[in-house]
Amino acid sequence: MSLLSFHLQRLLPRGRVLDSPAQLAGYASDALGYKSYRPDAVVIPADAEELVGFMKGARQLGVPVILRGAGTSLSGGPVAAQGGVIVHSSGLKRIREINVEGFWCEVECGVGLNELDAALKPHGVFYPPDPSSGPVCTLGGNVASNAGGAHCFRYGVTSNYVLGVEVVLLDGSVHRFGGPAGGRGPWREDWKRFMIGSEGTLGAFTRFWLRLLPVPEKVWTFRATYPDLRSIEAAIHALVAHSSYPAAIELLDPRGVAMVESSQMAVGLPKGSFMLLMEIDGPAALVDARVEPVAELLRKAGSRDVVFSDEDAIRQKLWKARKAAGGLLGQLSPDYVVQDAVIPKRALAEVLQLVYDEADAAGIRAVNIFHAGDGNLHPNFLFDSRVPGELEKVELISERLMRRVIEVGGTLSGEHGIGNDKAAYMPLVFGPDSMRLQWAVPAAFNPTHQLNPLKVFGNRCFTA
Amino acid sequence: MKTIAPMQTERLFTPFLDSVDGTLCLPASATAADIDAQAAAHRLRFPLILDATVTLHEQVAATTHAPASCRFGPYCDNILGINWRLPSGRIARIGERVVKTTTGYDWLRFLLHSGRRFGEPVDYVLRLRPDCGFHLEARFDGEIAALRNCVHRLLHSGWMHWWDAVDFIAEGASVWVRVAIHCPPGEARIFAAQLTGIASESQVRLTLQDSRPPSFDGLPDMVIKTTPDRAIGLAGELAREAVRCVALCYNGVVHVHLNAGEDIGERAHALMQPHLGELHALGGDWLSRWLPATPPTVTESQWIETLEQAIHGS
Repeated sequence: MSLLSFHLQRLLPRGRVLDSPAQLAGYASDALGYKSYRPDAVVIPADAEELVGFMKGARQLGVPVILRGAGTSLSGGPVAAQGGVIVHSSGLKRIREINVEGFWCEVECGVGLNELDAALKPHGVFYPPDPSSGPVCTLGGNVASNAGGAHCFRYGVTSNYVLGVEVVLLDGSVHRFGGPAGGRGPWREDWKRFMIGSEGTLGAFTRFWLRLLPVPEKVWTFRATYPDLRSIEAAIHALVAHSSYPAAIELLDPRGVAMVESSQMAVGLPKGSFMLLMEIDGPAALVDARVEPVAELLRKAGSRDVVFSDEDAIRQKLWKARKAAGGLLGQLSPDYVVQDAVIPKRALAEVLQLVYDEADAAGIRAVNIFHAGDGNLHPNFLFDSRVPGELEKVELISERLMRRVIEVGGTLSGEHGIGNDKAAYMPLVFGPDSMRLQWAVPAAFNPTHQLNPLKVFGNRCFTA
Repeated sequence: MKTIAPMQTERLFTPFLDSVDGTLCLPASATAADIDAQAAAHRLRFPLILDATVTLHEQVAATTHAPASCRFGPYCDNILGINWRLPSGRIARIGERVVKTTTGYDWLRFLLHSGRRFGEPVDYVLRLRPDCGFHLEARFDGEIAALRNCVHRLLHSGWMHWWDAVDFIAEGASVWVRVAIHCPPGEARIFAAQLTGIASESQVRLTLQDSRPPSFDGLPDMVIKTTPDRAIGLAGELAREAVRCVALCYNGVVHVHLNAGEDIGERAHALMQPHLGELHALGGDWLSRWLPATPPTVTESQWIETLEQAIHGS
């Protein structure tokens, strides 16, 4: 037993400290996969009390502390980049209250997103953020990375739905910022704003109060294909201004279409086409009247195969290619990097062309599957980290892409967070004054950077 | 990866209108008319207007929500970026011009309703929405229990997403519910049919009115943020002392309008005292544009000091 494990077992009961190489291997990376950092130990508090006890003792341990939900991050967020102890939140998984009249619920940070969805369903309410990792991801991870999803175009991201957070700071103090009412509580300032999207760099979450909405009565799903980038861009521009307020507008590019069509998941999409998938929802009386105008809009932009349905089984088939594409990436290539930039939508065609040109010139495969309504790009660069020089090529393409994203008025990340994957690009975004403000936040809550070091800003380094 | 050199100057927003994204950057001193002058030609609108005669900055300083927050969320979900003048006089860019971001710590939402404690806004980047061309306003009158039932029916169904506003209004002894709708002209009859049905089921009287422009409440003297299920009761109770209370039912916000007078701040303070305990326990809050902010607790004083050091550039 290492000295660290010995100390950890004084903070937590036996069995909730993992330190064997086999146990630690599962915590070495997040869903990004290609970067691996073995932690020195993993602890799994059974409840908030144990978590507080651990945090009180953690400062004396003098090692980095990394908070982790299900590890589905795509930004190198919940990994031990500077070594240290990972705190796995899976023990805090109670849904404490669902208050339908007040449109809120109270949940612990380890509750799974889809578990919450299932619990809310019988009450006729829902929690809108829907990252594709829903079946496994936790709400703690969602709040830490301000997660989004396909239906953010109308419903917004996690920060739009967090009414309150309870946080344990490194001195073991427990603070509640907000609550069911979603205000400041007794505080002068609205501290929860810094906590949401803070990527585990300020404190450890224990529970949240989340805002709920009534479930839409009816959903229509549309799928259309387009022969070129310009025509699908025209369709997207028309949809975002349409009075039907689409809930989701998703795009799969020809390389993604080819990937799906050459797999067992093929759905018969035309070769070389761009696929657009969108949804409208609402009461039947409203939404049924909007179906033909939306279909006509899609046709007018240049699609000759607009398909739509309100039947669940058919809607699932229409979503099939979009959902399959994400899973196929991992089968096609040993490694991939997915970027998460958000750009003004008038620059869509130009920035996508840049992705193709740069990737083709470097001999790197690039597939685009993204939230077109938000202008939230997800170019996936497929590579093999075992081949010398491939990762460097992907990093160079990513840097050029990010520079252009910022030039056209965009930002580095829309829903994945910065982690250590995008930390190097932060100087592209923040000038001297705004950068100083950014650094002031961890200086207030985690001045030694013991919590999740080397994330968000690459030089946020913990010195014991 | 090579290190990227830090920027030497701020990447400030310059005024723009992006008709594709539906975003507009304009001075914080702009009014509803200034927004309309640019947005209307592109069939876009900024729905969170409380008072057409005052500046956006005054509205955002006075409250966190407007009636249309029922559908579109609070100001902080509809203001995407700001040029912010720091106490030193230097201007920093906070936030983005795109509709979603998780790049860095969220100073935008932290600063937006912080009064002038950390500086003040110079420009806002607004998220605009499609202007569908038609406003409809519904008024429901009846006994308070029936009106509560009516609000329940309005909010607890899939229709809730499509009301621009669902407000319970208490003025002296009078109470009513106001619903604002913004839709294409062709859909107005569908909304009217639904509202008629709700009125019938709730046993309240319905009056429908086409209104252009929609009615504005003016700046509230105090704003209370509680839970949606408590807002109507609180508005009814406070209306006994106030001139007018408007409960934004889904948001759990109560806008309180008081009689003018030199002691307006004191009256606001006194009115809130019996409710503070419950409000804070719920994670709610209140503010009045006539009163300074509550003093910080000892704990938060330390955090504030650290932020202020950065803000002042030391």
